Amino acid sequence: MLAGNKNTSWKFFSWFFALALMSPIVVMLLGSINASSDLFSHLWATVLPEYIRNTLVLGVLVALLSFCFGVPAAALISQTNIVMGKQLRWLLMLPLAMPAYLVAYLYTDLFDYAGPVQRLLRAWFDWQSPNDYYFFDIRTIGGAAVVIALVMFPYVYMLTRTAFEQQDRNLLRASRLLGCTERQSFYQMTLPLARPAIAVSLALVTMETLADFATVQYFAVSTLTTAIYDTWLGYSDFAAANALASVLMLFILFIVIAEQRARAGQRHQSSRPNTQHQRKQLSIAQQIIGSIFCWFLVFAGFLLPVILLLVMVINYADYPQFIALIATGKNSIEIAIYTATIATVIALILALFQRLHQSRSRMIPVQISGFGYAIPGTVLAMAMLATFGPLDHVINDVAKALGFTAPGLILSGTVFAIVFAYIVRFSAIANGTINAGISQIPKSLDLAPASLGVKTLPAIFRVHLPLLKSSILVAWLLVFVEAMKELPAVLLLRPFNFETLSTQIYQLISDERLEQGALGAILIVLFGLLPIIILNRQKDNP
Amino acid sequence: MNKIWFSPLVLIALLGASLNVAATDEVNVYSYRQPFLVEPLFNEFTKASGIKVNVVFAKKGMAERLTREGEYSPADILLTTDISRLIELKAKGLLQPAQSTELSVAIPAQFKAADDTWYALTTRVRNIYSAKRLGKIDFNYEDLADEKYQGRICTRSGKHPYNVALVASMIAEHGKADTLTWLQKVKANLARKPQGSDRAQVQAIHQNLCDISLGNSYYFGNMLKDEKQKLWADAVYINFPNQNNRGAHVNISGMAMAKYAPNKVNALALMNFLVSAPAQKMYAETNMEYPVRPGVKPSKLVAAWGQFKADDLSLETIAKHRKAALILLDKAKFDL
Amino acid sequence: MKPLIHIENLAVELQAKVILTQVDLSLAKGEILGLVGPSGCGKTTLLNTLAGFVEQSAGTIEINTSNQQQIKISTADMLPAEQRNIGMIFQDYALFPHLSVNENICFGLKKLTKTEQKKRCEELLTLLELTEFGQRYPHQLSGGQQQRVAIARALAPQPSLLLLDEPFSNIDARLRNELMIEIRQLLKRLGMTAIFVTHNKDEVFTFADKIAVMHQGQVLQIGSPANVCQQPNSWQVADFLQLGSWLPVALVAGVNHTQVTSSIGQLAASAIANVLVDNKHDSTVNYQLLVKPNNIDLCQQQVCNVLVEHIGVTEQGYHYLLSSIEQNSALAFSHLSFYSQELFALGDKLAIKLKGEHFNLYTRST
Repeated sequence: MLAGNKNTSWKFFSWFFALALMSPIVVMLLGSINASSDLFSHLWATVLPEYIRNTLVLGVLVALLSFCFGVPAAALISQTNIVMGKQLRWLLMLPLAMPAYLVAYLYTDLFDYAGPVQRLLRAWFDWQSPNDYYFFDIRTIGGAAVVIALVMFPYVYMLTRTAFEQQDRNLLRASRLLGCTERQSFYQMTLPLARPAIAVSLALVTMETLADFATVQYFAVSTLTTAIYDTWLGYSDFAAANALASVLMLFILFIVIAEQRARAGQRHQSSRPNTQHQRKQLSIAQQIIGSIFCWFLVFAGFLLPVILLLVMVINYADYPQFIALIATGKNSIEIAIYTATIATVIALILALFQRLHQSRSRMIPVQISGFGYAIPGTVLAMAMLATFGPLDHVINDVAKALGFTAPGLILSGTVFAIVFAYIVRFSAIANGTINAGISQIPKSLDLAPASLGVKTLPAIFRVHLPLLKSSILVAWLLVFVEAMKELPAVLLLRPFNFETLSTQIYQLISDERLEQGALGAILIVLFGLLPIIILNRQKDNP
Repeated sequence: MNKIWFSPLVLIALLGASLNVAATDEVNVYSYRQPFLVEPLFNEFTKASGIKVNVVFAKKGMAERLTREGEYSPADILLTTDISRLIELKAKGLLQPAQSTELSVAIPAQFKAADDTWYALTTRVRNIYSAKRLGKIDFNYEDLADEKYQGRICTRSGKHPYNVALVASMIAEHGKADTLTWLQKVKANLARKPQGSDRAQVQAIHQNLCDISLGNSYYFGNMLKDEKQKLWADAVYINFPNQNNRGAHVNISGMAMAKYAPNKVNALALMNFLVSAPAQKMYAETNMEYPVRPGVKPSKLVAAWGQFKADDLSLETIAKHRKAALILLDKAKFDL
Repeated sequence: MKPLIHIENLAVELQAKVILTQVDLSLAKGEILGLVGPSGCGKTTLLNTLAGFVEQSAGTIEINTSNQQQIKISTADMLPAEQRNIGMIFQDYALFPHLSVNENICFGLKKLTKTEQKKRCEELLTLLELTEFGQRYPHQLSGGQQQRVAIARALAPQPSLLLLDEPFSNIDARLRNELMIEIRQLLKRLGMTAIFVTHNKDEVFTFADKIAVMHQGQVLQIGSPANVCQQPNSWQVADFLQLGSWLPVALVAGVNHTQVTSSIGQLAASAIANVLVDNKHDSTVNYQLLVKPNNIDLCQQQVCNVLVEHIGVTEQGYHYLLSSIEQNSALAFSHLSFYSQELFALGDKLAIKLKGEHFNLYTRST
């Protein structure tokens, strides 16, 4: 469909962007070649098995909990007449606006032995020491899993709810006529049909969890990422750290591929979404339990952390803080805008290439450009330095040879590196959203413009882009929010005197002075709310 | 074709030119130290010299960044919070010697590299905090392994540089095998899995979760200055360990000049400033650390904790045993 | 003998809108009923109400199953869909995309043992010539194969009544007739009672024993296809079944008897077999005569009264659509069907007249 000259240039750009996004990963893999086996055998003999066990347990627990939070919530909102369903529909997405490390800090602080909750209990009941009573220990794998799941479950909720709502009602009717009760029909039809959505969202949540470092650190849980940091920062063995990071990435890729394999041969996409359907009428007891469940999620995942932050703001915020916030906030927003815009444009180029190009390899650019999501931010930052450092050297050497003054580190020492790292990390999100949008466009529309004498590129601008408008907006907003929250990459890659909201909060947290940063944290949350509000309004007025 | 490839080059050249123009009368600092700790000092420096200080702060990966940047690195000065980092930077060939009369006057020989590649700025003691309810006790680090403290000890992660340096000093004193035994016994005495910061341990003592913790000296002073944290600090004594034998373990915060420092003159000016008596006084007063410059007194509050005997183990030795310390911490599964 | 299904006074309201009203229907065991009507007439809603997907607001549905049990569904006792013992074949087949053909067919057989399930499934696969596709997934099958799977799945639990929602609309026109005959024979062989919905009257004539014509939520006429074609009981029925062309006429009171006048001649009242007056529209009475092509004859001598406005070709000769030359009169018409072996040109003027007897006269409001 892409003919002539356009054909080659489009192909060139697709591969160029994909390979560029892939390059830090390749550098990371290459960097692991010289890893010393001594260090590995030492780690393997001592802590590594436990780290791996922790990683697996954490991944499985978070996936399980996200499932238990997200899927019932999706079912209650999309299938029943639950009270305030219209409000809960978007309220349940709010935890997405909370950075996980922030909630982790707030909750460990709150439920710790020395935290206010246990202090209050001890004061009330006159307990003296931990031996006098039982209270769950938040700094455990279980505690970490609950808190991570509380902020991650909206991914599962959102995707599953959409899948439920777009299911072909006739399939459910058919199952009823074939003897299924309402309940059986849900378990045998609704749920299995939503499996791709559930699986994709769980894979996303697991990826985020496995690549996380800052959050698990607050919970004093050592995982594979701990091993990566130990080998790199402690043992100063960069190659071994790369090797471990590569193992982690392959591990995550394995999950994704295994999931895709498991449902190869089946097709779930319903052809004809049906809007009119009857909602299940809940009994009073069901209403109460369902409402408690949904409101608990909203409260624990969003309201409580926000209230804690607001209390800090009220007690500690002052005018100078607010002034300082403007500069850091501006940095955060600028980076997030660059990232979101570029990532969305690249995702569009890759997705349209995959859709319209004839070559056999057209799937590859989209796939390889999404790998970055599986790499911990700091490791990615290291890979960026390893990639762009040498490039900068070449540029400087060439400039000097040509008689110019050396320009300095224009790639690795500027915002460029940060934005590039973010794009590598969040391309998967933009790709996923844009691809989902494109798959909704009938294939006949690819051909129609040509039949009307319109060339491919104008056709894309006149047909595909207008139809993708909402997908583009959603992709942009999701990447924007993630970029606002992202921390480790910017910490290491930033230029001089450069603070973002997340680095500021992180520094204050690590010094136990979050009170001073509460205002900034609220700002991140507010920006995180934007896409949720817009997404919700879009659904209401299509 | 030529045109297309030429334009980015021009752009890069222009960009570079603008960067270079901006680089005059400035000094660039890569800091492991938190900005709010050092910013007041930099402000004073700028006021006095007119040289602007640019800072980038990161706890992780500075050495890697410097390595990758190589000869084009903009960094002039490196600030660290731990001797091991300085030695690592030196080992990687990222430092250059810096000399001035001010530096040689200000810094005693045991607080600088033999080849002048790095200088200490302050010292900090790894103290043992104990609950006031236990009464005054003379601690040795070795006592932490004593069975009578079972379930009574709190600490941050063993992998934190401050603890790693302490373990390294234990290896220097007792050898690897005994240190491992010590670590295992300390771990058995822990009230909870290693977690949180040094301050959080004091909070835990205040809350009766444990009685004893490890913590750097200046935290105690900073906590006493903080409204909320004063309550915690009031519940504990700060103890200088091993006063009857080798002395308390001491670490440093330090500085070094980057090998490819583009603003060498300014960098040296900043180094001279940081060891000057007024700057050393600021370190003492605002950060509650012990200044290295002879003649500059610690703050009144810090002085009130009394004189103490410091372990005279050389800083290089501590750095040398760092890797061994990490291996022992892994073997003891200290954090797990 | 008791009817297998008996529907009385059934009504459905959705969001305060009347969708179905006063629906009465009976079917004996083994009968196949074709439900026809223009889109929006409520025929699919009727199917969904029988299946239990839509709640009725009045009336009863009685189903007498093969094993002497009676199922009675009323507004007081709304039986859930899964307990009605009714099978359904959906327009898009609604095959479960995540299950194989075998699993689709066995879906409704959960009460049977594994071996019984396997046996029943194999029988159906053989019956519908699907034996080699058991392991495949729906998207790996052609449209015709998918439909056969849908039939097998619906038949597997041995329902007492089978509902089919536009079952042939996705089938290639050339294969459709053959397939309809095949399936009709299958249903007859099994003695299956079925109701199917279509908007294509030809399908009814091929597939059904009985036809029910619906309009605006009501069943207008029900009976054998031949009966309904010969005696359509209202303008809507005749119009939907396209039984002829409409010719506007006026009734003129003569000396002895009333005369029927049109722009192509007059008829004696004796030629009118039935006058079907729709009382609802008595305000502006508008009489229309149902004219079949063989009711028109050419007459060369007289003054021309019609124009050729369209020419089509059929196996039997040419099919012309004629319009009256005089377009300003109340009796002006267009689209009058006329068949002839003779070839005329577009715009040719012809003279025609009515012939024959047993005309049906209808009223229609404007």
